[in-house]
Amino acid sequence: MARTFFPFENLTPSPASFSLLPFRFTRLNGKELIVNEAGEFLIAPNGTVQQLADQRLDTGSELYRDLKAKQIVFDEASSPLLDQLATKIRSKFDQINGGTKLHIFVVTLRCEHSCHYCQVSRQTTSRGQYDMSTGTADRAIELMMESPSKEITLELQGGEPLLAFDTIQYIVPRAKEAAKANGKHLSIVVTSNLACVTDEILTYFRDEGVKASTSLDGPAFLHNKNRPRPGNNSYEKAIEGIERARAILGYQNVAALMTTTAASLGHVKEIIDEYVRREFHSVFLRPISPYGFAIKTKQSTGYEMDRFLDFYKEGLAHILEINRKGYRLSETYTKIVLTKILTPHGTGYVDLQSPAGEALNVLVYNYNGDVFASDESRMLAEMNDLTFRLGNVHRDSRRSIFLSEPALKMFQVACTQSLAGCSDCAFQAYCGADPVYHHATQGDMYGHRPTSGFCKRNMEVIRHLFSLIQENDPETMRILWSWIAGQTEKREPSLCA
Amino acid sequence: MEAPDSASSEASPKIAVKVDLSVTGTESLMKACYWFSVDFVCEIHKTEETKAEVVLRPRKPASPAELASRREDFISSVLDFALRERIEAKTASIRDLLMAKALSEAGILEDEPQGVFGDAVEESKTDGMFKILGNA
Amino acid sequence: MRLTTSGIARNFAGGIVGVVTKSDLLDHRREDRIRLLGPSTTVVGDSLIGYRCVLSEGKLDPAPTIPYIHRIRETDHLGDGDIVALEAKTGLVRSLYRPYERHHHLFATARCNSNCLMCSQPPKDHDDVVALTERNRELIRLINPHPNYLTITGGEPTLLGDNLFALMGQLRDEMAATEIHILTNGRTFAWPEYARRFAQVGHPNISLGVPLYSDFAASHDYVVQARGAFDQTVTGLHQAARNGIRVEIRVVLHKLTIPRLTKLAEYIYRNLTFAEHVALMGLEYIGYTPRNINELWIDPYDYQDQLEETVEYLAIRGMNVSIYNHQLCILRPKLWKYAKKSISDWKNLYFQECENCSAQESCGGFFQWATKKHSDHIHAL
Repeated sequence: MARTFFPFENLTPSPASFSLLPFRFTRLNGKELIVNEAGEFLIAPNGTVQQLADQRLDTGSELYRDLKAKQIVFDEASSPLLDQLATKIRSKFDQINGGTKLHIFVVTLRCEHSCHYCQVSRQTTSRGQYDMSTGTADRAIELMMESPSKEITLELQGGEPLLAFDTIQYIVPRAKEAAKANGKHLSIVVTSNLACVTDEILTYFRDEGVKASTSLDGPAFLHNKNRPRPGNNSYEKAIEGIERARAILGYQNVAALMTTTAASLGHVKEIIDEYVRREFHSVFLRPISPYGFAIKTKQSTGYEMDRFLDFYKEGLAHILEINRKGYRLSETYTKIVLTKILTPHGTGYVDLQSPAGEALNVLVYNYNGDVFASDESRMLAEMNDLTFRLGNVHRDSRRSIFLSEPALKMFQVACTQSLAGCSDCAFQAYCGADPVYHHATQGDMYGHRPTSGFCKRNMEVIRHLFSLIQENDPETMRILWSWIAGQTEKREPSLCA
Repeated sequence: MEAPDSASSEASPKIAVKVDLSVTGTESLMKACYWFSVDFVCEIHKTEETKAEVVLRPRKPASPAELASRREDFISSVLDFALRERIEAKTASIRDLLMAKALSEAGILEDEPQGVFGDAVEESKTDGMFKILGNA
Repeated sequence: MRLTTSGIARNFAGGIVGVVTKSDLLDHRREDRIRLLGPSTTVVGDSLIGYRCVLSEGKLDPAPTIPYIHRIRETDHLGDGDIVALEAKTGLVRSLYRPYERHHHLFATARCNSNCLMCSQPPKDHDDVVALTERNRELIRLINPHPNYLTITGGEPTLLGDNLFALMGQLRDEMAATEIHILTNGRTFAWPEYARRFAQVGHPNISLGVPLYSDFAASHDYVVQARGAFDQTVTGLHQAARNGIRVEIRVVLHKLTIPRLTKLAEYIYRNLTFAEHVALMGLEYIGYTPRNINELWIDPYDYQDQLEETVEYLAIRGMNVSIYNHQLCILRPKLWKYAKKSISDWKNLYFQECENCSAQESCGGFFQWATKKHSDHIHAL
């Protein structure tokens, strides 16, 4: 039986009309950025959105084909493939799956540093009232195990956690045992200034598979200015600690984070160069924490955020240049945002999620058993603001923590999809909600977007990255992709639980 | 929307825009004012059934050139928000369906496979593997 | 390399599958063997008892009592261990398997529910499923040694329905270590029940090779000449992935697929992220292709920009990509690492220009039919 071939016009004629799938848009350097519900975007000529709203676009044009392939429009010539779009949307929410993954245990508030941006440490080094008791640790571990996630990260924090090394030695084996009994995969990391680290402590960490994360704010003058301690040698101690930790734990198990302060602004290149000098391959240009400054001085964060954005852009340009010269160095915030823009995946980064990552993705167990929605929530408590204290390990279960009044209040304002200023924002898929930040800086969990430092920072960073995407310089894109692809793995579409 | 004079006869400079509510709706005005409220005190006065005037008074001193530029931005913003309203209206129900599909269990809200199967042999069987229609 | 030949068949009906032997075997070893007689072998009637069939170029006189095909046109391509299928009605001798080859295929059916403009195996609307399944069952049983890879092709193998699951089950039980690759348009997998049952067969080592020709539904449908095919294929791929079935995407490069090739790569990356591999394949001048050549032909040399852009697009995103059926002299050197020697043994050859080429060893060469149509830019490196 001979078969005939059908010409294009017979098989799939151009449809007379088309329908819209949900999308948001903004104007970007003379063009229109159109983003669908799964975060896929198209940079289209000016006037496209008007034509879409009027449903008046040539269905035979290349632009129409682009819009259809990106699931911004659909027509009767083929299926809208809604299930596939829904799957893509679902993938972006993957981090919700399994609940809280990051569990921060504040083992002590004691610390010998008095860093300007820290609100929580206590100067006394004697044990007792500011240390986590074994009873509290036991209960915190039980609560941690109630989280459905198969992958759990336990972060040991403080103050300076190494000052309560015996408490750590109590917690680590019990946490590992509990994880095994509950069929969970547990990672442990300790965040320490490394000033009082010993080989004994490091050997213990190596044997137990604990990783270390420390602070390196930049070159000596800056680091020491931010982080005073007796002897004013925080930098020297940090470097020494990093070297020793790398030697014993292995290079890849020692990470460094910087905190940006007013003093840091204007020195971004020096900070980055310090990271290169110390052979780190990633740096995180974190914004100035608003919790210290804004609360104490009640200053508007507008000016500071502008200066931070300059800091960030200059820093990113410098980092790209370093990469071009052959040294592999990624910027973590850029990597996170680009993952959201350019890949089908979501990210687990707590501060940039919708619904917000507080409680849903991180819980903080304070030395006294109080449970907080995030580290910043704990800092607020130190200043007598208990808005985000969700409960106490000795009184509560995971269920009662999540049904507590503070939690429910927070969840109501945790989704950008329903917040003023966010609900129709083109960058919604790439951004997140942060009720704690808005409560701390504006006195309102809901947040006022036009004056929000969080909003300003994210919008500007996202715009800046889209400029790079539009420029499409092959070498720049190759560098950026090497940061992104290093972290994302191929995944199956979610088989629902 | 009309394009009235931007110079003010009053002592304090301001931006004034007359709008046709049947073109812009009120939501778009509110949203544009929301964003402009950082730099301006915004007032919306309904003048007729379908007309309003929006007055934006700068919080800090601004030159006429700056004000003219911001006025253009404001109008642009209102029109863009009006576009968003229209798009939202056209896509609200399919969006609800999409989100329901995204957040529900596998198989519950999924569509049946569409289209023709297209195998002539299978088509001629009374008890074929799939329901078949021909390729017209 | 010859695949088929024919002669005059006697003493059997339907088909026979067996393993060729050129030497005489003891009785107890003859059971599934097909005795190929050389030109100088004399036939002794009873001495052939026990073989499945006898083959001979010359006339067999006196005729054997067992099944035979004689006056075969040529037999020099047949060797020991070859598995052949014999057809009584036509006297056809078809080679199914040769142990020394690198690539092995199992032909499932000539039926297909698509009708691609460049199909290298034009479909036939004749229900051959039962006969071919029977043949393939025997083939699987006889394959020796077990190859590393086996490709199931057609037509469209999923049209076998349960018969495909039976073959997969047999492969799972009898040669579990052999990696199976099924070339399918993926459309049948759009039916969730089908994808589920396919996965339930539980073959530990199976993957699908599914073609996708555009990110724009109408263009894909046109290339495969089936309305709604794009929808079904994409839906099928999702159902397959959901059921844990590994998939690879294949794209044949020609004038209809080149213009949006990088956009197709983007579509694959965002919508079919689970794909293990993307194969970008050169056009074969066989089957329907000659008939549609005006719509399809673009000199591979002329699409190197798009090819490079697409390969780079996928590679930096961490997706595995290969280039098949392209000669190294056509490809830019930075793409050589993606080029695989992919042409089946019985299909490939090299041209005169290749004689002095320094890269001949690493190059896959050409399809036999490339003599009729190939790039204008073939040259020795």
